[in-house]
Amino acid sequence: MQNKSVNDTAAVSAALSGVKPMIMDDFIRKLFKEARAAGFAVAEAYLTENESFTAVAMNQEITQYSSHVTRGLGFRGLYGGHMGYSSTEAFDDDAVNWLVQGAMDSATLCEDPTKPFIYDGTEPVAQMNLTGKDAPAEEKLAFALEMERQAKAYDPRVTQVGHNTVFTGNVRVRIVNTYDMDKQYAESVCGAYLQPIARDGESTATGMEIRFERDFSALNAEQLAREAAKLAVDALNASPVPSGSYRVVIQNLAMTDLLGVFSGAFSAESAQKELSLLKGKLGQAIAADCVTIVDDPLREDGFASRPFDAEGVPSARHTVVEHGVFKTFLHNLKTAHKDGVPSTGNASKLGYATSVFVSPTNFYIEPGDKPFDAMLADMGDGLVITEVEGLHAGANAISGDFSLLSKGYTVRNGKRERPVEQVTVAGNFFEMMKNVRTVGSDLRFPSGGIGSPSLDVGTLSVAGKAEE
Amino acid sequence: MKDSLRGVLDAALSTGGDFAEIFLEDNRTHAIQLLGGHVETVNSNRAHGAGIRVFHGLNAVYAYTNDTDPQGLLRCARQAASAVADGGSVQTAPPLVSPQLPAPFVCLQHPSDVAGKRKVEYLRQADAAARAVSAEIEQVSCSLSDSEQEVTIVNSEGLYVEDTRIRLRMACVAIASDGKEKQQGHEAPGALMGYELFADRVDPTQVGRDAAQTAVTMLHAPECPAGVMPVVIDNGFGGVIFHEACGHSLEATSVAFGMSVFCDKLGQKIAADCVTAIDDGTLSNEWGSLRVDDEGMPTNRLVLIENGILNNYMIDKLNAKRMKMPPTGSGRRQSYALAPTSRMRNTYIAAGNDDEAAMIATMGDGLYAKKLGGGSVDPATGIFNFAVSEGYLVKDGKIVSPVRGASLIGKGADILLQIDRVGRDMKMAQGMCGSISGSIPVNVGQPMIRVKQMTVGGRV
Repeated sequence: MQNKSVNDTAAVSAALSGVKPMIMDDFIRKLFKEARAAGFAVAEAYLTENESFTAVAMNQEITQYSSHVTRGLGFRGLYGGHMGYSSTEAFDDDAVNWLVQGAMDSATLCEDPTKPFIYDGTEPVAQMNLTGKDAPAEEKLAFALEMERQAKAYDPRVTQVGHNTVFTGNVRVRIVNTYDMDKQYAESVCGAYLQPIARDGESTATGMEIRFERDFSALNAEQLAREAAKLAVDALNASPVPSGSYRVVIQNLAMTDLLGVFSGAFSAESAQKELSLLKGKLGQAIAADCVTIVDDPLREDGFASRPFDAEGVPSARHTVVEHGVFKTFLHNLKTAHKDGVPSTGNASKLGYATSVFVSPTNFYIEPGDKPFDAMLADMGDGLVITEVEGLHAGANAISGDFSLLSKGYTVRNGKRERPVEQVTVAGNFFEMMKNVRTVGSDLRFPSGGIGSPSLDVGTLSVAGKAEE
Repeated sequence: MKDSLRGVLDAALSTGGDFAEIFLEDNRTHAIQLLGGHVETVNSNRAHGAGIRVFHGLNAVYAYTNDTDPQGLLRCARQAASAVADGGSVQTAPPLVSPQLPAPFVCLQHPSDVAGKRKVEYLRQADAAARAVSAEIEQVSCSLSDSEQEVTIVNSEGLYVEDTRIRLRMACVAIASDGKEKQQGHEAPGALMGYELFADRVDPTQVGRDAAQTAVTMLHAPECPAGVMPVVIDNGFGGVIFHEACGHSLEATSVAFGMSVFCDKLGQKIAADCVTAIDDGTLSNEWGSLRVDDEGMPTNRLVLIENGILNNYMIDKLNAKRMKMPPTGSGRRQSYALAPTSRMRNTYIAAGNDDEAAMIATMGDGLYAKKLGGGSVDPATGIFNFAVSEGYLVKDGKIVSPVRGASLIGKGADILLQIDRVGRDMKMAQGMCGSISGSIPVNVGQPMIRVKQMTVGGRV
């Protein structure tokens, strides 16, 4: 729709909030009754309810506009000593049978020798305020249009703006089990992102910025658009550097991406499954002295915050790496029991449908006190990596090896020199963490729970053009 | 059913929209994971919902819900309609009619007719074969997942289409370790069919063996040297190079908005003469095949590039209006929760005339990429990257050593022109492709090809 035609959007918000509340108590009662009758010793329901709004603007029109209300229920239970899983989004006559039968089949096939748990704790959990103030749909649409205008206004070479998106979402999570646990929390998020495209002669360059906030009013269209546009314009006429070894500073956003890929190594589940090189390294130095890594679900400004985990275990802050020394794996109830330690409250699910696994929450490298510019001054000559691509392919979470298409710029005498593209930066994450020289002060959580400041990582291999 | 859906379409059009569509989905999936030789998890999931889309000129509104009762659909339709406030004339949907469709793909052994124990047996075969390769295989993870997706697609042009898609895929990840380092190998074949997959196309033993062999080979491989060099890419999953370097940039998703390097290039030479590339949704029971796309249109065989000349883009219904070109049966989405857009199906470089052995023998010094991992591309710049999961260093036309940690980068437009050999033995492999309408099954494929010069990322 053209902007002027979208004049009745308040109705959408009304429709969203006016949807009949999820009255699931009857369904859960029936489900637990059938589960008990079928022979389940313990049963648990994990419910999620989601609402979202997304709008995309291009060429000063709202080209996509979507909203939704959905709910889903993940069921699990102990049957014959094994955990069975099933899930549904349909709540029709067949739903209870689908869930109970599916979980029974699942438990019957399961041979996992590790003792499974359903949490029987009913203690109170932290009161957290994870919700913020949304805005009327008109305001959000205007925001998307404004971002595009501001990105183009930044520089005439910004010819287009891709993925120019604004979104808001609410999720409610509830866990109910036959141990009388019944806990819930709500979370909301407002966000925006854009990818301006700059052109100059034969050169095309893109920049990407994203921001998450609780309150919609905390988002600033002009600032976000100008930052993204600057990235694109600054990257124009970029070229590869000659292949070789370079001193490298990895900027906060790229470092966040890298930390995210390798965060799995800190999971006790990975270690117990022989999928982590950190197995057997508790108490050892695995990173430079200046590196401290924290997992803190109780930060209200994080976007992986929660008062309790996917098993209902209360959340707590954990220092995973303290001044380079590996202090603890992240655990859920099952992995903790196997290692003879308490759960760290890191049980997680992707939505309602998956089995419970282990993952970090707000997981970040603690900032140091060095400003970014001072890090460049210390480095003198080298490369700043601003963006890494293709992490799902070019980074091996198990071996720690990475070889990633990267963007950035050269630094000479401590100052930014010229933009760089079409190079790969290669190394090993675990080796690199031992070689960190300086941790910057610029910690950011760009779009979720993983966060990092910029790091001076010493020397890495860079492949670019043939050596001159 | 048809009458009530027609009423929902009318509600969606009630504020002046010029096209409305309902996509109803019920998707039952069953997944088993075998880890370390025992069944680790078994999961049965049922996704269920409807997405309603309204066009207004070149723009689209999308709303979706799990509540597929007539009242729930009406509520969802009104929600979508509320974002369109035209004030002009209001259209209504004609009676819904089921068109003549291509014959459905055959499924001989329906997933629900196969006992869980038998499914586990296939996984055990792969697991045992992987472990038998070497004592250095430390861990093996195998999974099997089947899905039955039932869709009903109706629109205000009077279309009523029902379709069922049954898919099955096995995956095996083997990890080799020497106590200090770990390397992995990965295989994941699948098809749009039931459990006849294991009689017709996939030998679980071979899957396990291949994954383990890669892991062990890479464990003993030195780091790949970085640099610019000729690269030979083997058939099968090697086709991901075309998928990333070119395929995404030929989707209307980028072309319609002038955001692709291949805009306005129809009829022009964009690749070397030896390159013909095809996107085909009709191939018999292939992983990326579809009887109808997610907009209810029968799929087709689309020649994207013929002897180097760009012939076609992949176009969905909405972008077809924007581009003033017909849609190509390429509208796809992960689920009812996402609006469809133009996506690839089974995309491959067609077989050529070059001898595979001679290709390596005459390449001089370079890299032979036997297996590729995944990759990604920025369609605006065409800059792509992908990982080499099993590579070999070639010196003077002879394979001298396996190498690990290599990646390949470049610009799609350049690389297509740099291909100088295309082999005879085309093979496809299965992948999941992620883009704005979610993660969808696709085939990639090619015969062995040679690229004159590519940037190889690795250690200096």
